[in-house]
Amino acid sequence: MNDPILRIRKYERDRVNFVLENVDMAFANSLRRVMMADLPTVAIDIVEIQANTTVLPDEFISHRLGMIPLVSSNCDVAMRYTRDCNCFENCAFCSIILVLNVKCHDSTTMDVTSNHLEVVPHEDQGMEEAGEEQVKRIEKFGSPVGKNEPGVEPILICKIRKGQELKLKCIVKKGIAKEHAKWSPCSAVSFEYDPHNKLRHTSYWFETDERAEWPLGENAAEEEAPREGEPFDFNAKPSKFYFDVETDGSLGAQEVVMKVRIIVSFLSF
Amino acid sequence: MNAPDRFTLFVLDEGEAPVEVNEDTKIPNAATIKILKQDHTLGNMLRAQLLSMPQVLFAGYKVPHPLHPYFLLKIQTDGSIAPDLLLSEACNQLIGTLASLEGKFKREFAFKEADGAGLGATGVGGAGHGGAAFATSDDPYGTGAGTGGTASWGNRDDYLDF
Ligand SMILES: [Zn+2]
Repeated sequence: MNDPILRIRKYERDRVNFVLENVDMAFANSLRRVMMADLPTVAIDIVEIQANTTVLPDEFISHRLGMIPLVSSNCDVAMRYTRDCNCFENCAFCSIILVLNVKCHDSTTMDVTSNHLEVVPHEDQGMEEAGEEQVKRIEKFGSPVGKNEPGVEPILICKIRKGQELKLKCIVKKGIAKEHAKWSPCSAVSFEYDPHNKLRHTSYWFETDERAEWPLGENAAEEEAPREGEPFDFNAKPSKFYFDVETDGSLGAQEVVMKVRIIVSFLSF
Repeated sequence: MNAPDRFTLFVLDEGEAPVEVNEDTKIPNAATIKILKQDHTLGNMLRAQLLSMPQVLFAGYKVPHPLHPYFLLKIQTDGSIAPDLLLSEACNQLIGTLASLEGKFKREFAFKEADGAGLGATGVGGAGHGGAAFATSDDPYGTGAGTGGTASWGNRDDYLDF
């Protein structure tokens, strides 16, 4: 059986860089695809606009709101999909409500940002006992990533001038990026193999000198350069993969990488 | 209005079987397996795993149409094992590889965190967002003049529409 070899080169809260060896390309690529498209997060899905006298139309603002990353730690167990819920429309088990209510009274341009979004409880919340889902949520669950954290620039939604206002209610739902990219926890996933192009999976376009025009990347130092005049090994297969996963903060990089276990559920049919 | 729910692309319908096995009538020890509500993520991984197994003569997959959420996996074995049993064996091997990988990630992360350098020193996003350069100012073009800045319309009370 294949036993993967793993080395984490760099690890931050929302970024991890690792090298995966001794697996085949299909496996490594599935890992990449799962991290990008199969991990559930929460995002604003429905917006009820109560007042909008800003220069941006309702749809424009709704779209911008949808793209704001919200804290989604432990989302796979801490939240239900509305389709699996037994409520009529949405409830405390399968949704979170965010409100925004901003007016500009000053004679300067005002920024409406993700910091103005406030989590509010559902009307009936607390009437019934808290479900097992809610217990698993962290305090900030569902609020914008980095809200009121020092040094974190909030996300600009709109700019308003004196006399303009924006008042709305957002319904936050759980989903995956196969449904809409706003639910992807990853902002970027880089994936590289064979930095010297020994396998000839690509051919470089060049003016005069291929080597001079295509400088080697950082990962080239990890592998032996081809010898001059080395014959092409057409049986060779890639087995060393360089990943760099960067998240939007909705899930931490560690959580994203650990959750690839979700493939097991695909395999257990 | 009559658009299907988007989640029908990856969630099985009520009572829908995830797998259909169709034994091939013309080729010995061969089967075409239809796997519903799955895509290249699973298809390509299974195909590659099957090809690494010595009993396999042929393994290939296709997604017949990008709007139809299923793929077909064709397997032919050397006769020592039925294709569908071989597929479940391939799945078990992949589950084993994933479990092994998960353990390694756990160990590496624990190691990195114990190392101290992990979170504390590298800090948490934020500071890297370009801070002051992108900070909001009342002077969007950075000129302080020309566009009139903000003061010029400051005390007019038209446009008050709330
Ligand atoms: Zn519900």
